[in-house]
Amino acid sequence: MASVFPALAGLLVGACYSASLFGEDHSPVPLVSTINEELAATLTKANQNPAPPAPATTYLRRVTYDLAGRPPSAAELTAFLADSSPESRRLLVDRLLASPDFPWHHANELDSWLMPRERSRNDWRDYLVNAARENRPWDQMFAEMLIGKEDNPAQAGALQFLKVRAKDLDALTDETSRIFFGIAVNCAKCHDHPLVDDWTQDHYYGLSRFFERTYLTKNNRLAEKPFGEVAFKTTAGEERKARFMFLTGATVEEPVVDWSAERKKEIEELIRKAQQDDQQSPPVAEFSPRMQLVDLALSPENRLFFARSIVNRTWARFFGRGLVMPLDQLHSSNPASHPALFDALTEDMIANGYDVKRLIRAIVLTDAYARGSAWLEESEPPPPELYAVAALRPMTPRQFAMGLLVAGQSPKAFSDQVQSANWPAVRHSFEGQSAGWASMFEQPGEHFQVSVDEALFFSNGTRIQNEVLRDAGNSLIGVLKTIAEPREAVRVAMLQILNREPADEELDYLAATIPAEGDVRIAALRNLVWSLVASPELRFNY
Amino acid sequence: MSQENVNKLWTPASHGLTSRRDFLTAAGAGVGLAAANMTILDLLKTPSLAAEMKSSRKHVILLWLAGGASQLETWDPKPGRPTGGPFRAIDTNVSGVQISELMPKMAQRMDKVAVVRSLNTRVADHGGGADIMETGRAVEQGLPYPDLGALMAHELGRIDSQVPDYVSMYSSTEGRRRGTSGFLGGRYAPMFLTEQMVPENLRRPEQLVEHDQTRRLELRSFLANRFQQGRPDLALSSHASAYQRVRGLMASEKLFDIEQEPAEMRAKYGPTQFGEQCLVARRLVEAGVPFVKVARAWWDSHGQNFETHLELVAELDHVLSTLMDDLADRGLLQDTLIVTLSEFGRTPNINPSLGRDHFASAWSSVLIGAGVQGGAVWGKSDENGQTVADGEVKAGDLFATIYEAVGIDHKKEFHVGSRPIPITDFGCAPIQKLLA
Repeated sequence: MASVFPALAGLLVGACYSASLFGEDHSPVPLVSTINEELAATLTKANQNPAPPAPATTYLRRVTYDLAGRPPSAAELTAFLADSSPESRRLLVDRLLASPDFPWHHANELDSWLMPRERSRNDWRDYLVNAARENRPWDQMFAEMLIGKEDNPAQAGALQFLKVRAKDLDALTDETSRIFFGIAVNCAKCHDHPLVDDWTQDHYYGLSRFFERTYLTKNNRLAEKPFGEVAFKTTAGEERKARFMFLTGATVEEPVVDWSAERKKEIEELIRKAQQDDQQSPPVAEFSPRMQLVDLALSPENRLFFARSIVNRTWARFFGRGLVMPLDQLHSSNPASHPALFDALTEDMIANGYDVKRLIRAIVLTDAYARGSAWLEESEPPPPELYAVAALRPMTPRQFAMGLLVAGQSPKAFSDQVQSANWPAVRHSFEGQSAGWASMFEQPGEHFQVSVDEALFFSNGTRIQNEVLRDAGNSLIGVLKTIAEPREAVRVAMLQILNREPADEELDYLAATIPAEGDVRIAALRNLVWSLVASPELRFNY
Repeated sequence: MSQENVNKLWTPASHGLTSRRDFLTAAGAGVGLAAANMTILDLLKTPSLAAEMKSSRKHVILLWLAGGASQLETWDPKPGRPTGGPFRAIDTNVSGVQISELMPKMAQRMDKVAVVRSLNTRVADHGGGADIMETGRAVEQGLPYPDLGALMAHELGRIDSQVPDYVSMYSSTEGRRRGTSGFLGGRYAPMFLTEQMVPENLRRPEQLVEHDQTRRLELRSFLANRFQQGRPDLALSSHASAYQRVRGLMASEKLFDIEQEPAEMRAKYGPTQFGEQCLVARRLVEAGVPFVKVARAWWDSHGQNFETHLELVAELDHVLSTLMDDLADRGLLQDTLIVTLSEFGRTPNINPSLGRDHFASAWSSVLIGAGVQGGAVWGKSDENGQTVADGEVKAGDLFATIYEAVGIDHKKEFHVGSRPIPITDFGCAPIQKLLA
């Protein structure tokens, strides 16, 4: 393909800040062949052909949204298409993983998963971004979220995970289990789990006992009471006291402390004061149930839940579905679609110190990830668990917001920004701008549907008109105004917004709507740009 | 679309069909079944689904008495008791049934009203009470359950509807809640009106001429149709159907404009905001909107309960009776269910500020119209109204009754992932005596 912007291509020489770091390494990327072979084997077994690989432009767009949380610039597109070396994709992936974009995007992904309902506080977001920057191991992050030290500035933000749930023992229990262990244990609250033999009420209340003593002081610090019980009634009507029990059935015994009634009363009074007076520090508890939970959950005998959950969630982020579905049903009666692969990835995750980036790097370099997302054969589309066709995934609110922000910009201005030494600061400011846009869109869940509110917002909302469709010189429409040839205007708009060349049919149809000159030309350009930003192609990662 | 794609969605397991709506979402986007409604398509698939037929063209108007209305000053007066307060009870046109004297107009229409006097919903804080009374069940972690409006929009709406299918009006800032479509997804979220009487983004901006908007939608369709090739995906279809509904919804703007009503009709509802919103609700229902919620605030009378209720109940009496009459005159009442709900009722005990506090142990609600046995009263509170004396009703029982009244099988289940989720809370059943 001819260079899209010959003038811009020159800017790229030597401009990729980190490619050189990885450029020398020709060793195979770990796990890629494992995944490829396992997925190929199931395709063979099902006698199913996969969809052909996605075009290079599609792959670039897909992986840039997935790793950097934004669209590729026109210059990045030109450079990638110009690179015909067999290493081009690996270099691209390593550049994106090392870019200043990745920590922002990775933090956004973790945020929407760990805090689905809350508006994030700054210390929490800072924690996630910093952890993503240094690729902090997932087990360490888990420990920081559960037992981080308030006095350690690198950890304090992590405690927001518990703080926002501290007043609700069911939320602490169930969401910790669901998020970190991949188990929705709440079905076992009122009765033993109806479908899964693994879970009984003992497990639910056993897990909740690790959180029962957790409370917030008046000055918003997390504390644990030195004593406390969880009692529950079984379906048979028996009153039972919960043990400290993990999902595997492993238990912890608390050292026996014989609290005198007086001492107990004193401590309760201190706790009450700490909850009411922001000067009062809470009484110290020698025995920390949450610390016990972290130890248990990460111990070699019990860590499979923790490891499998992060593997499954990471997989689902890039493939649109987990190796086990639903993501919070990782129990024995719900097997993985590819059991051997799931085991191999889980072992690798443990053996490499819960390095999530290692798994991400492998996934985006697999054949399955790089396939086309359309099934154009006569036959029925293959079932999704065969990974024969790449998943169509709705953009997250943050990704979509970045797509819209970039869509309104001059292609050259955006390309220059991404290449500039100032990009880390610019990316940071983009993050702030995109937050407002993002708040207007719904976080896609399992049964995501686009709401009519969104279509009305695009159709009539002033924000689209005033920001995406503005025609100042540094905007996309400002640039399109200066392009005399309608077909070229269509090309430039499509490259900026959808990150690809138009097909001939599109070029013919769209260019015919743009008069070469006259008063209505700007209106026609706005209509063109609107139709591109409101198209499903911008709304989905495909 | 592939069977696999169909199967991964929640399906109404009660009759083992593919979800009606999901089938349509995909079919509607690809095949363009103009004006098809769920019922027709179901009949194409399965010839005898009487229950499904029954639920076609039903509507629900929910009057949400935000803050908690007193049962003693409305449907369950206790005259002469220490808890009774200053107001009398009056006879109604149903023999043996008395209501508060603050509702003389409703007293003459009780033959069309079904009353529940034995709600025990247990939770007596605003947030928790609203959670229960919006969804008919307690909140469950990890399972965002849709509220009544979203569920009704899903069950009673048409996929390609030219009107909104869930409109929620909540003008007060006190206790305002947006409502949630939960696991049903954004397609069923309410069109939510707060400050203005007309929903946001329904009107074309002035700088955009109609011709350009038409052109934009044409260009968008062209691009979307190309993109959809080979991608039979429900989220993608929902994107298409959302845009397909834009023009129709914009045309429904006039439904929100009560200036379109004759002055005489507006005078009947009265010049209050609640009255005007109920008039809008009637206009919406008449145009085919399946669910409208009108919230009236703020009933939370911890002090001066009787002054508050003197004003609010009188207004409720007037507006509710007007709405009933208007719907009946138009032949709509037989297909429209009016329900009153709150977070909870109010304590029989009168506090030192002459207020009544939050009370969820024995309170009242009424159902009027579609599917309802007029003149029926279910349940009893004790002589002072402190506890349920007979026929205890949980939120889930009341919701099951609402479902059946508009022809929805209360035993229906959604499937969220592999998990069956009954629409009726565990252990609850409809109150048959209140159903026609």
